[in-house]
Amino acid sequence: MAVYRRSSRPRSTLLLVVLTSITLLTLDQRGSGFGVLGTVRDAARDAFAPVQDAVDAAVQPVTDFVQGALRYGDVEAENERLRAQLAERDGELLAAREADRERRALLDQQDLRFAGEVPSVASRVVAMSDARFGQTIELDRGAGAGVAPGMPVVAGRGLVGRVVDVSSRRSTVLLVTDPTSSVGVRLPLSGDVGVAAGRGRGSTLRVDLVAPGAVVARGEILVTSGLDDSAFPPGIPVAQVRAATAATGALQQDVTAEPVVELGRLRVVKVLQWSGR
Amino acid sequence: MRVALVLLGALVAQQAVLSQVRVAGVGPDLLLLVAVAAGVAGGPEAGAVVGFAAGVAADLLIQAPFGLSSLAFGLVGYGVGTLQAGVIRLAWWIPPATALAASAAGVLLYGLLGGLLGQAGMLRSELAGLAGVVGLLNAPLVPLATRAVRWALAGGREAALAR
Repeated sequence: MAVYRRSSRPRSTLLLVVLTSITLLTLDQRGSGFGVLGTVRDAARDAFAPVQDAVDAAVQPVTDFVQGALRYGDVEAENERLRAQLAERDGELLAAREADRERRALLDQQDLRFAGEVPSVASRVVAMSDARFGQTIELDRGAGAGVAPGMPVVAGRGLVGRVVDVSSRRSTVLLVTDPTSSVGVRLPLSGDVGVAAGRGRGSTLRVDLVAPGAVVARGEILVTSGLDDSAFPPGIPVAQVRAATAATGALQQDVTAEPVVELGRLRVVKVLQWSGR
Repeated sequence: MRVALVLLGALVAQQAVLSQVRVAGVGPDLLLLVAVAAGVAGGPEAGAVVGFAAGVAADLLIQAPFGLSSLAFGLVGYGVGTLQAGVIRLAWWIPPATALAASAAGVLLYGLLGGLLGQAGMLRSELAGLAGVVGLLNAPLVPLATRAVRWALAGGREAALAR
């Protein structure tokens, strides 16, 4: 009797479990995430938001303290480096102010828009995705704060990614390093355009469609191209060129670039309320 | 009923606390661990059912096809239960080792199923390493999870099956 139960009953249970899962998968795929299951999922995320916020507020100081203690040497070295950088930047800033004034005047003349004038929502990063599920981050602002799918997300230095999912109190951002992410970019020196595609956590971006003849300088900062139907406004820094090689006879150059934003250490970001033209 | 409580607890802990813990990009996966513990504590049938329920809970949290985790976790729970039936549990290291291997297998299975469904980026060479890390992070938590699941199963009808 026991033998019968062990061999047959669990197996039919397993079958039931597998079939139910496949049914769920089918329902989800048909509804493309916006059906009943999407609603349930959004509700669950919102329900956990207060608990997550509370724990985050309690845990953050401890994490900061431990990390600070463990990496004291690093922090000191980094501090030194940042001081040197700051002094250097102060000098550059003065020059940049002048250039910016000039640029604004030119932009005004040509009636062009740029990222700085797009209204934005400041938001805190409450969770990094598990590396198994692609490169995303979760923000503590959602539809209630005016965030909508498709909006670009930036941090201090440049582009972070794009909002892909929104519930009323939370939103999910697909980082530029995700293998499914691609961003239209422009090479400022040559004016050539390309597409920067993600290759996963910690990897550089691969820039496709750069013509073999185009001049690509190492260290050059790629900015969003903002071409027709682009998902991003023009002129946001995306990545810095690491290497560029052109094989003879190839149809495009082999360009790799490193994201300008340190995506692994994001704390606060801005969602640009930009929805194309 | 108690199973639902344990799952809710795991879900809250996973979302609220462990979403902050990242080692090499991944964190411990409590819900997968519950599936494994159910297999250890309750045999194949409890493993499959609790694994499925844990998978549904996990699906609520991640942006991936709904049902993928329930399928993977249900299979893992069943597999652990089946293997466990043939092992005499004397050595202290067997449950953690089971959790390590089964968690890693669960992560790989999940990636594989995701790949089969055409989810870009889910099936990568990096996945094997990530699976190992998740296994290592899950292993020390297994006594806790097994105790919770034993308690849960003792309350329900499953108690009869567990024996």
